[in-house]
Amino acid sequence: MHSQVLLAKKLKNFQAYVNAISKKKVSKSAEDDEFEQWQKSRQLAKPKDQLELTDAELKEIIPRVLQSVNVQQPDNLVQYSFNLGEFVPIPPTGNAILVFSHKGTYLHKESDDARKQLIAQGIDPQDLGAAPSVVAVQTEGAAAVKETESEDEEEGEKSEEEGEGGEEASQVPAEGDEEPQAQAAPAAGKKIINQFNFCERAALTYTNPRMSRDTQTIPPPKATYSANVLQWIIYDEYQQDYDEQQLEKERERERREQGKMTVSKPGVKKGTGKVHLNEALQARLFECWRTLERMLNLNTYDYIAKDYRYWEDPADEFREEEGTLLPLWKFSYEKTKKNTVTDILWNPHYYDLFAVCLGYLDFMKPVKGGAICLYTIKNPSFPDYICLTESAVMCIDIHQKYPYMLVVGLYDGNVMVYNIQATCKAPAFQSNSVTQKHSNIVWEVKWAEDLPDGEMNFYSVSSDGKVIHWILMQNEFAVTTIINLYLEKDPVRGPDGTLVKRKACASCVAFHPENPLIYLVGTEEGLIYKCSTTYSTAYLFTYNAHNMPVYRVDYNKLNSAIFASCSGDWRIKIWEDNRHEPLFVFDLGSCVGDVKWAPYSSTVFGAVTSKGSAYIFDLNVNKYKPICMQAIVSKKKYKLSRIAFNNNLPIIICGDDKGSVTALKLSPNLRVPCKPPKKQQHLDQHTLQLMKLEKLLSLVREPTVLTPPPDPAGSTDS
Amino acid sequence: MSNEVEDTLKRIQSHKGVVGTIVVNSEGIPIKTTLDNTTTVQYAGLISALADKARSVVRDLDPSNDLTFLRIRSKKNEIMVAPDKEFILIVVQNPTD
Repeated sequence: MHSQVLLAKKLKNFQAYVNAISKKKVSKSAEDDEFEQWQKSRQLAKPKDQLELTDAELKEIIPRVLQSVNVQQPDNLVQYSFNLGEFVPIPPTGNAILVFSHKGTYLHKESDDARKQLIAQGIDPQDLGAAPSVVAVQTEGAAAVKETESEDEEEGEKSEEEGEGGEEASQVPAEGDEEPQAQAAPAAGKKIINQFNFCERAALTYTNPRMSRDTQTIPPPKATYSANVLQWIIYDEYQQDYDEQQLEKERERERREQGKMTVSKPGVKKGTGKVHLNEALQARLFECWRTLERMLNLNTYDYIAKDYRYWEDPADEFREEEGTLLPLWKFSYEKTKKNTVTDILWNPHYYDLFAVCLGYLDFMKPVKGGAICLYTIKNPSFPDYICLTESAVMCIDIHQKYPYMLVVGLYDGNVMVYNIQATCKAPAFQSNSVTQKHSNIVWEVKWAEDLPDGEMNFYSVSSDGKVIHWILMQNEFAVTTIINLYLEKDPVRGPDGTLVKRKACASCVAFHPENPLIYLVGTEEGLIYKCSTTYSTAYLFTYNAHNMPVYRVDYNKLNSAIFASCSGDWRIKIWEDNRHEPLFVFDLGSCVGDVKWAPYSSTVFGAVTSKGSAYIFDLNVNKYKPICMQAIVSKKKYKLSRIAFNNNLPIIICGDDKGSVTALKLSPNLRVPCKPPKKQQHLDQHTLQLMKLEKLLSLVREPTVLTPPPDPAGSTDS
Repeated sequence: MSNEVEDTLKRIQSHKGVVGTIVVNSEGIPIKTTLDNTTTVQYAGLISALADKARSVVRDLDPSNDLTFLRIRSKKNEIMVAPDKEFILIVVQNPTD
C-alpha cells in the first residue's frame, strides 16, 4: 500500500516539473534572441589551414541512418582452440546495446518479499488478497483527489510569483506538499514510519571563556656527552668483559667448592687490596721513572753508545799482533766509593746486566758495610739494583737457571742468597751467624746444578780451610762440610802441647765445567788442590803453583783440561790437567788480581794488575807477551782488582779499589776469529778454536814422564 | 717503594741537561713540577693530548699493543714522555748542554 502511495506522489511531482519547464522556456525565448545578436557581431577565430568549403558543399546534407544492425561489430570472430588444434568460431555477441538500466523498488504483492513486508507492517497478506480491488481503488481514489488539489494550489502560486526562480519555486511547494500527504496517508490506514519525517532543532549554548594557564618545571639536567669509538676501545671493552666473565666463573667455582661455608675474608681482602693497588701504582711509577732515566742517559752518553756500537780501532789494520781497549762507560755508586770491587760477574741471562761486589781487600783499612750493585750498560749513571749489606761483600755468583738468584759471600764468613726479583732489601736466605758459617772470609761462592728434587745448592770456600756445601731448604740452609783442606805437612805443637794439623786457607775455587764433581781450590799458600766433592779426605792432585796467594783459578771456556791461575807473586800460569809443570808462565810485574779466559776464543785471556793495567793475551799470536797492555786507571791512585768478559759483546769490565767499574771495548785485533784452513772449510768456529789450542799445546807440551831410552844391559841387571 | 721513586726523581733532576720534570695525572692536571707555572700548564695540556693521540695510534694499529714511551726531539731540546693509564711523566732535556 505504501508503494502505491509513493507512486502516486511521484506522478504528481513529475507533472509539476513538466509544467514548470514549459513555463520557463517561454520566459527564456526573449533572452536567446539577444544572445544570438551578440554572437553574430563577433568574428569567429579560424585556423589558417581550415578547409574552405563552397556553399553547395556546406549545404550538402550528410544522411544519417539508424540501423538495427551494429555495423561496427565483427561478424565472424574465431579463436584458436588448443584443445581441438584449429580455429573455432565464436558465437556473435548480439546486437542489443544497453543504454540505460535502473533498478526499481516495486514489488509484486503476491511475491514472498512483499508478503514478508506486509507481515512486518502488521497487515495480513490474505486480507489483502481477499479484497485487493477494494484497496487499490481506495488508494487510487485518494491519490486522484490529491492530485487535483495540489495542481490547483500550484497554479495559484505560480500565478503569484513569475520569473527566474520558477523552477525552484515550483519544487519547494511540491516538497511542502509531502507533509499533508503523509498526514493524509495514516488517515487512510495505519501509521507508517516515514523516513523523511524529521525536524531539525538547534540551540546555541554559552561559549566557555578561554584561558591560558602554564607552569614552569625545573628543566631536566642536560649533559653533553661525546666519545670516540676506536678499534682499541672496543677491544678493551671486550677484554674487560671477558676478564669479568672469567672472574665470575672463578667465583662460581669457589662458591661451589666452599658450599655452605660463610667466609668473612672478602672484607679483609679489600683493605689489603687497596694498599696493594697503591703499591702497584708506585711500582709502575718507579718503572716509568727508570725508563726515563735510561732515556736521559741515552742522550747524555750518546757518543759512548756510538763508540760502543760502531767504533773499531782503524789502527788495528796496520798493527799486527796488537790491539787496544777503548774505554766506554764508568760505573760507580756514590755510597760505595770507598769500597773495593771484590768481584764482578755478568748476568748469564741478561747480556747487559752485571753484578758488582763491593767489599775491601786491604785489611789495614777496613770499610764498614758492603753492597751488591747490579748495573746495566743501558744506565751507566746508577745501579739498577742495590743490596746493601752489613759486612763487606767478597764474592758473588748468579744462578744459571734463575738469573735473579744471587749468592754472596761476606767478609764475616756468612753467606746470603738474594732473590732480587722479590726484594733487594733483605736476603731470602742467610746463614746463621753463630752456628753455621765460615770462621773466616768467604772468598768464593759457586752455584751447583740443582739437586734431583729441584733444590738449589751452592759451594763456598773460605780462609778457614773449609769447602762447604749449602742446600736451600724451606727457609734455611742445610749445611755439609765437603772438605777440610789440611796441609800435607807434619802437625805442629800447639801452645798447650796438643798437636795441631795446619789448614790451608782457600782463596778461590773453580768447578770443572763438564764434571761437576771435580773442582780446583787455590790457597793462600800458593797451592792448587784438585778435589772431588765425593772424597773429603784426599786430594786428587796438588799443583805447587805459586809462592803467594792464588787469587783466581779459571777453566778454559772451550777446553776444560786447561786452566789459568794468577797470584800475588806477579805471575799468571797456564796449566794442563794432571801436569805438575805449567805450560805457560807470564810475569806481569805487579800483583795479578784476576785472570779470566775469553768466551769467544780458546787462547785469549785477560788479566788485571794492582798497577791499574789490563792485559790481554792471545797465546796463538804471542806466547811470550800480551797482545794488549793498557793502563785503565791512574797507576798511583787505583788498583785494578777484577776483570770479566761479556759473553755476547766484545766488552770487558774491570773493577778497581775505589768502587768503580770501567767498561772497555776490545779492538778487532783482540778478538780475531779463527780462519778455517783451505781444506776444511766446513768446520765451525768451536772446532777450529779447539784445534787451534791443541796445535798450540802440542808445541809446548812436554811428555808427562820422561822415559829413558831402553838399555839392554840395564834390563838384564834388574 | 715511594722512597725509591722520590730518589729516582731527584736523581733525574740532577742529570746532565735536564731542564725540568713534570708529573701529570690522568686528567691532564700537573701534580708535580720543577718548571714555572705557565710553562708547566702548557706542557701538561699539550703533551697529555699528544700522548693520548699517540697511544690511540698505537692501539688502533694493534689493540693488543700499547704505547710505552714517547720521545720528541726538537731543535732546542728533547721532550721525553713516559705515559701510563693513570699518569704521564714528562722530562725536558737539553742534550747539547
